Amino acid sequence: MRDEDEIVRESAGGPYRQIVARGVSRRDFLKFCSAMAAVLGLSGTFAGKIAEAIEKAERPILVWLEFQDCAGNTEALLRATKPTIAEIVLDVLSVDYHETIMAPAGKQAEKSLEDVVKNHKGKYIACVEGSIPLKDNGVYCCVGGRSAIDIAKEVCGNALATIAVGTCATSGGIPAAAPNPTGAIGVKQALPNVTVLNLTGCPMNVENLTATVVHFLTFGGLPATDSIGRPLFAYGERIHDHCERRAHYDAGQFVKQWGDEGHRQGWCLYEMGCKGPETFGNCPVVKYNEGTSWPVQAGHGCIGCFQPEFWDKMTPFYRRLPKVPGFGVEVTADKIGAGVAAVAAVGVAAHRIARAIRGKQDKKEDTE
Amino acid sequence: MAKRITVDPITRIEGHLRIDCEVDGGKVTHAWSSGQMWRGIEVILKGRDPRDAWLFTQRFCGV
Repeated sequence: MRDEDEIVRESAGGPYRQIVARGVSRRDFLKFCSAMAAVLGLSGTFAGKIAEAIEKAERPILVWLEFQDCAGNTEALLRATKPTIAEIVLDVLSVDYHETIMAPAGKQAEKSLEDVVKNHKGKYIACVEGSIPLKDNGVYCCVGGRSAIDIAKEVCGNALATIAVGTCATSGGIPAAAPNPTGAIGVKQALPNVTVLNLTGCPMNVENLTATVVHFLTFGGLPATDSIGRPLFAYGERIHDHCERRAHYDAGQFVKQWGDEGHRQGWCLYEMGCKGPETFGNCPVVKYNEGTSWPVQAGHGCIGCFQPEFWDKMTPFYRRLPKVPGFGVEVTADKIGAGVAAVAAVGVAAHRIARAIRGKQDKKEDTE
Repeated sequence: MAKRITVDPITRIEGHLRIDCEVDGGKVTHAWSSGQMWRGIEVILKGRDPRDAWLFTQRFCGV
């Protein structure tokens, strides 16, 4: 009698054939589909639809451009601690150009890119890592004698869609930090007419890239985004609202010094400069390295790397945020920024008063 | 007569490397390597809180 895996293996096409060829069981594949449905904020019933889409999908072509980058996002993509289904799903993309991992160099490498643009015009996905410098005619980043902006115009301009990976590609990142010596900007800023999805983060979380690809395969398009082009499934909620240390914030239990009793107890890192209250992302839920940990769990505050221009707006990193939004899961990414500052001030004031009153009551009870 | 060969980009490394060499009579007579990307992190670091420096310099290379 033939098992289910065997039958599926024979009838499958596209990416799924690659997945089963790698020895992934049907059960593990369906588990992955359920997990992806969860990351995308869909009900569990979508797992079947996702599985069906991946089974039927054509192998999408992807090119990966590196501009003013550190390859941190490339590492996020490549360095899984063990082969995971997510890695395999990303593997089934036909990556036709990626300088860090491709075999050809020089003119042969550039030809691979030219061929994709020419032969698959309007059908491929372009991933961009790193910012684009505009100062001095773009001399601060050149590949094959062409400036980054020149390459981006051609490659992103002819792509089906562009995914800007990491904060450098989405908003200029560290090269754009003051005084921005090279005139670095993000892809969407450089190419306002191109369809760009922004996956911010330093680096971006590869789970969010995987989920974006799965969304693309399942629904044939990019996911819904916030006002700065980030998918809502990953950037729709505030880190502070899902933080595992949130209860300590609400209870007024703060780390005051690295290594103090509170730090050892896992108390809130707000007073040590944590930027979780002003940062939008799914880090506390999805975590990194296959759900192992994330910065706050490891004992360091969030540096706000999912927010545009965090190198200037969130620094000094160890200074306590002056204004913290109030209680509840009520704030959205679109409200943060200028508008929320006033609300935030009121929120934090109310919180301080509440804490002060609580403190007094405690003292009163002590003396009674 | 000397012939100029350029390999740009050098792949399987990260950092936008370009190699130019001059070949004369089957021998390399001159060669140049050049980094084709600059971000100016040294310039960006100036005047910042020293406690933040490790987070900036860590981003020189993500590999």
